[in-house]
Amino acid sequence: MMSQEQLLASIVLTLASLIIYQIATYAQQKWQSILLNPMLVTITVLAPILVSANINYQQYMQATQLLNFMLEPAIVALGFPLYLQLRNVKYHWKEILAILSLGIVIVIIISFVATMALIAIPEIAVALSLKSVTTPIGIALTEQEAGDSSITAFAIMIAGFSGALLGPRWLHFIGVNSVKAQGLAIGSASHVIGTAVLAKISAEHAAYSSVALIFSALLTALISPWLIPLMQQFYS
Amino acid sequence: MTVKNFCYTLFAIAFSLALGKLTHALISGLPASLYGMIFYCVFLQLNWFDANKVSQVNLWLVKHMGVCFVPAGIGIINHFDLIKQHGVALIGIIFISTFILLTLIGWLSERFLVEKNSTSATISNQ
Repeated sequence: MMSQEQLLASIVLTLASLIIYQIATYAQQKWQSILLNPMLVTITVLAPILVSANINYQQYMQATQLLNFMLEPAIVALGFPLYLQLRNVKYHWKEILAILSLGIVIVIIISFVATMALIAIPEIAVALSLKSVTTPIGIALTEQEAGDSSITAFAIMIAGFSGALLGPRWLHFIGVNSVKAQGLAIGSASHVIGTAVLAKISAEHAAYSSVALIFSALLTALISPWLIPLMQQFYS
Repeated sequence: MTVKNFCYTLFAIAFSLALGKLTHALISGLPASLYGMIFYCVFLQLNWFDANKVSQVNLWLVKHMGVCFVPAGIGIINHFDLIKQHGVALIGIIFISTFILLTLIGWLSERFLVEKNSTSATISNQ
């Protein structure tokens, strides 16, 4: 049973998160800048406030249980965009799945090995290995693999912004000019943020980016539960 | 967005999630929510749930779902020491692995998808 003080903290912190998020959403719609990503803005504004008010992470998590409760239904809701994209992959689903699977295996191995070599903390290695996937799935998988989901959320945002800002120019520079290839590459590496940037270029770019976003998530969910324990075993 | 469609969509999502939790309890493997997502997609594909009825509410949910991940992201306040100590390595690993993935998927898609069925529009022409 919650005390009155806890209930008040819960209402204030949940409302603060929702209000800051809504203001950021409005600002992004108005100024159309990916740097105004609502999640990034909310975290950037809220984190210093929590630190200065001496509210630790556990207290914040407890107070915002309602948002945590919504996490699982939010992931299930992604089944709808997945359903919408099925027709886009009807004719070359084998190639797309093979290409994305190869990319996922390689990026998980590279991220895990590099993190163990430079930082040597297994929870962080798991978190960084699962950053090439959309936030809800990344967090769910990291928690399942005993990684640190806050690092995953942070890494996913950095990956999203770097790929979205520099990805299209980089792909053009290395001679990847087709709509399909650009869409799949940005969607798999920069997920929602990258897809939002491509949506401004063309609907076809956004469609292929969404395909990569959704299928990368699904494939990472299938591949990581056996690949990550294998690497953890190697380093133990 | 009608109340009826809102309730219908919530029921569809809750039902899929419940099945996902049951599957996770029986065979483990993926997180329950991911099983739920797959069930939801399959039910829509089989027309067991009406895609037209869930469309509007679902798109609204997906558009605003980011707020549910704020608590996880706030966890970064637990890691100021880690960032101070390994910030450059962290950012470097994220940045380099992201560009390796971009390059690999871009090249392979260009080679195996586009050469089969070439498309014309390019980002540079936009």
